[in-house]
Amino acid sequence: MKHILLVSIFIYGAMVLGQNNTIAVGEKLTFTAAYNMSGLMTEIAQVTMETGQVKTSNATLLHLKCTAATYTKWDGFFKIRDLYESYVSPTSLTPYLYKRDINEGNYYKFMQYTFSHKTNSVKSLMRKKNSKGETIDKTTSVKINAGTKDIVTTIYHIRNLDIHKATPGEVQNFKVIFDNEEMVISVKYVSKETINTAIGKKECYKLALSLKNKDILKGGTNDNLLYLTADANKIPVYAKFKIPVGNGELKIKSATGLKN
Amino acid sequence: MRSLFIVLGIITAVLALILAVTPLSQIAYIPAVAALIFGFVAFYISKRTQMPRKTVQLIFILTIISLVLTIYKSIFNTAEVGNMEELELKKEASMEDSKEILEGLEIDEMDLDSSESDALEIEELPDLEDLEEQ
Repeated sequence: MKHILLVSIFIYGAMVLGQNNTIAVGEKLTFTAAYNMSGLMTEIAQVTMETGQVKTSNATLLHLKCTAATYTKWDGFFKIRDLYESYVSPTSLTPYLYKRDINEGNYYKFMQYTFSHKTNSVKSLMRKKNSKGETIDKTTSVKINAGTKDIVTTIYHIRNLDIHKATPGEVQNFKVIFDNEEMVISVKYVSKETINTAIGKKECYKLALSLKNKDILKGGTNDNLLYLTADANKIPVYAKFKIPVGNGELKIKSATGLKN
Repeated sequence: MRSLFIVLGIITAVLALILAVTPLSQIAYIPAVAALIFGFVAFYISKRTQMPRKTVQLIFILTIISLVLTIYKSIFNTAEVGNMEELELKKEASMEDSKEILEGLEIDEMDLDSSESDALEIEELPDLEDLEEQ
């Protein structure tokens, strides 16, 4: 009886802790992506983050969608039409299905992950185009650790953290599967900072991101930053990143359909 | 010395003009300012040595055209996303495909809809009421 009670308390605790209190169905965040060209930040694309609902015969899941599209003036030079999707649990944000469809210039790539949390594995499908324009499918099974998420879910999961309870300097690691490889993203809570954004002057949580044992995110702790509003919605209003081929930033343009 | 500034002025002015017509028009300010500086230096030397100033005028004309074009673009050209139809169609197709995949996946019990069991309970209630009436 004592054990049953303990287990029940633990399960209840896990459910309460893993609750989604930040992300609402129908939320739409629009960003402007800028890239540093010869010292000048040039706006090149629009990035959107949307949420929706998907009903299957026995469950209702949260649909997380991220798109990136270059502005008209850039389409002639380098057209980008990227779509990142994730179907997750509306309460715990556990991913079930992830899709990544990339169209960048002449480059095309499609990735699909179906998560099996019972076996801690991911069934991956990679679709690419060869030089003749034919599509080639490659399926693999990747072993993952418990709690590993895709990149889209991880972004939303970071938003859902109880940052107000964290102390400056606190670091939390997240396991992410990307390109059939599991990697660890470290998120460090730096401080609170007030910044001017397109949706007003906002007090934000300043987070420093880094990838363990990877060179994708270059630079020090001040080069890859994410600013989340210090309110119940934790809207990502500003982000700056440094990658091997340069640096850029994301700025919020509009935010609608917020939960709180 | 004069020739050097004239050559540098022409190169930077042409570069500014090329950049001004491309989407990289914001960067055109840098060579345009450089062209103006080289132009003024060449103009000053030409005036002092009483040499022809026709080429220097060409530098100024090219620079002014590039600056006007860049300023016009930065004021009137708004950043707009182009044709999104393809992406929208892809989104819809992907969602339909995803629904099929999700049907075949094992979903955690916590995320399963309880609506089915609720519906069954509701259906059972009228029967019970009927029995009580009888």
